[in-house]
Amino acid sequence: MKILILGLGNDLLGDDGIGLLTVRALREELGGSEGIELVESSLSGLALLDLLIGYDRAILIDAVQTGRAPPGTIWRWRAEELGAVRAPSPHYAGLPELLAIARALRLPFPEQIEIYAVEVADPRTIGGALTPAVRQALPELVRQIRERVRKSLSADAIPEGQPGKSQAGRTIEDG
Amino acid sequence: MSRREIVIDPITRLEGHGKIHIFLNEKGEVDRAYFQVPELRGFEKFAVGRPAEEMPQITSRICGVCPTAHHMAATKALDDLYQVDPPPAAKKIRELVYCTFMVEDHALHFYFLGGPDFVVGPTAPKAERNILGVLARAGLEIGREVIGVRKQLRDLITRVGGKVIHPVFGLPGGIAKPLTPEDREAFLAGADRAVQFALFSLKLFEDIVLKNPQYVEWIRSEAYTHRTYYMGLVDDRNRVNFYDGWLRVVDPNGREFLKFPVRDYLKHIAEHVEPWSYIKFCYLKDVGWKGFVDGPESGVYSVAPLARLNAADGMATPRAQEAYEQFYATLGGKPVHHTLANHWARLIELLYAAERMQELARDPEILDPRVRTLPTAVPREGIGVVEAPRGTLIHHYETDERGIITRANLIVATQNNATRIAMSVDKAARSVIRNGEVGEGILNLVEMAFRAYDPCHACATHALPGQMPLLIRIYNPRGELVREIRRD
Repeated sequence: MKILILGLGNDLLGDDGIGLLTVRALREELGGSEGIELVESSLSGLALLDLLIGYDRAILIDAVQTGRAPPGTIWRWRAEELGAVRAPSPHYAGLPELLAIARALRLPFPEQIEIYAVEVADPRTIGGALTPAVRQALPELVRQIRERVRKSLSADAIPEGQPGKSQAGRTIEDG
Repeated sequence: MSRREIVIDPITRLEGHGKIHIFLNEKGEVDRAYFQVPELRGFEKFAVGRPAEEMPQITSRICGVCPTAHHMAATKALDDLYQVDPPPAAKKIRELVYCTFMVEDHALHFYFLGGPDFVVGPTAPKAERNILGVLARAGLEIGREVIGVRKQLRDLITRVGGKVIHPVFGLPGGIAKPLTPEDREAFLAGADRAVQFALFSLKLFEDIVLKNPQYVEWIRSEAYTHRTYYMGLVDDRNRVNFYDGWLRVVDPNGREFLKFPVRDYLKHIAEHVEPWSYIKFCYLKDVGWKGFVDGPESGVYSVAPLARLNAADGMATPRAQEAYEQFYATLGGKPVHHTLANHWARLIELLYAAERMQELARDPEILDPRVRTLPTAVPREGIGVVEAPRGTLIHHYETDERGIITRANLIVATQNNATRIAMSVDKAARSVIRNGEVGEGILNLVEMAFRAYDPCHACATHALPGQMPLLIRIYNPRGELVREIRRD
């Protein structure tokens, strides 16, 4: 079992750095664990294909602006569901397409890709810091992913529906 | 006046986010189509007060799509800032890495982003107009090769340059470390594979696109044609070069209009501001801003693959030169004004970049361990330029005597192209939308005009979408506000 925990975003761009900061925090707790790789990337779109190849499972962490929830809200989706999600981040634009490519070409690709995304307030100002609501969401996000990974490792499989379609797009209020 | 608005959003497959607004009049015909993007804020403010030496790392992190281009433009601006000329091996290694990046990026665009329009067909159902549609027609083996060759080339860049987003490579006056014989072997192998890949891709384009009269008609149609100026970097013999050279501009008849070192860019390039867009529209100062119109009297110019081919007299490698000649013979001589010809031009450039990789990797001098000239001059101002995959990219820094930035300016590729892109979207919309009919295939024909430039807004803007607050105002010919659109 090889698990990729991939933080996406840009730490020069204020709230857009939340994915990278989450991975940095997780590295302190999970770094060195057998079978877990923690990666930060500012690449986007189709470059993700290269990053995802070779893993059994992947967790992506990113910033989004859906405008449908207050900043700091944590969203959880599965990759397959993204087509239906309004305004997903272009960091993984085409993720369902990537899955389809990987299947068509029989590439060694994660069977399950989960996305943890934080609703952000300002991801466009260079040199900006995290806004307060997003900063407050960070410990909760780290906790959720840590628990998720521990469960995965002990069960060695993601139990159906956890977090499955029943919880798709559900907002989890921060704190 | 009543208008019906159609918003094409998001622009599928584009790395970044843009919006096209099309306004129809009472007859259901296009009144005007607007192309707009949000813009990244605060770069200048962020750069001021930082050491110029941080810029190659910082600017490469602005953009998740072409970090290597920003890294290289910034590194060259530092050469200029400290008035140092890197040793020959350093320049060759930089160009080798840069050409590797160009192959990888152009391959991505053709197969994943632009290719679906042609290989699958512009009026095919949306669900098929994607890389999977391309694979269905071209074969799964090609898909594995596209992914395989890109991975090999990306690994090469990482091998000598460090992580693409956090490069440990360019320094003022040279690069961080010399090339080892093992590195060189790896590049030679990658280059050979890249050349085969490029030749195969051109053959695919010929078989699927050029042998289909309908596609050729689309490429040549008036809807996708603008008679503008073109700009690109050329070497001492006026051949296309991605890494260095002169900025050359040809007029709409293909005659040389300007040829200047990037140091003089402010003498020739100016920026026009429109009320409906945050992006600044570049134009040629020597001609002047006449609006969103083409022709020799209008200062609109274009960059990116087609513009580079038009602005040069040829390609510096043999097979790319053959392809270049075939390109102009097929499309009716120089310059070619058809926007959709960008896709073909991109493949010719892919071949050039691959052949250039071979040449550089074979050059014995590339193993010379002298790869750095130490800067000694007092810094003041530095300007660097490269041809990014999407067109000319300029970095300009001013510093105090300690090298701390006091002013920074970037002109990114999409900004150079912004005017012509806006014109293309408008013109394509006019030609394909009649009587209010806007089927799925028709909308794609409008987007195709846009996609051909491979515009990337990850640096002109950031990639994250959502409803960026924006105000659109529309004026009548008398300057009166007739419509205001607010997006909060």
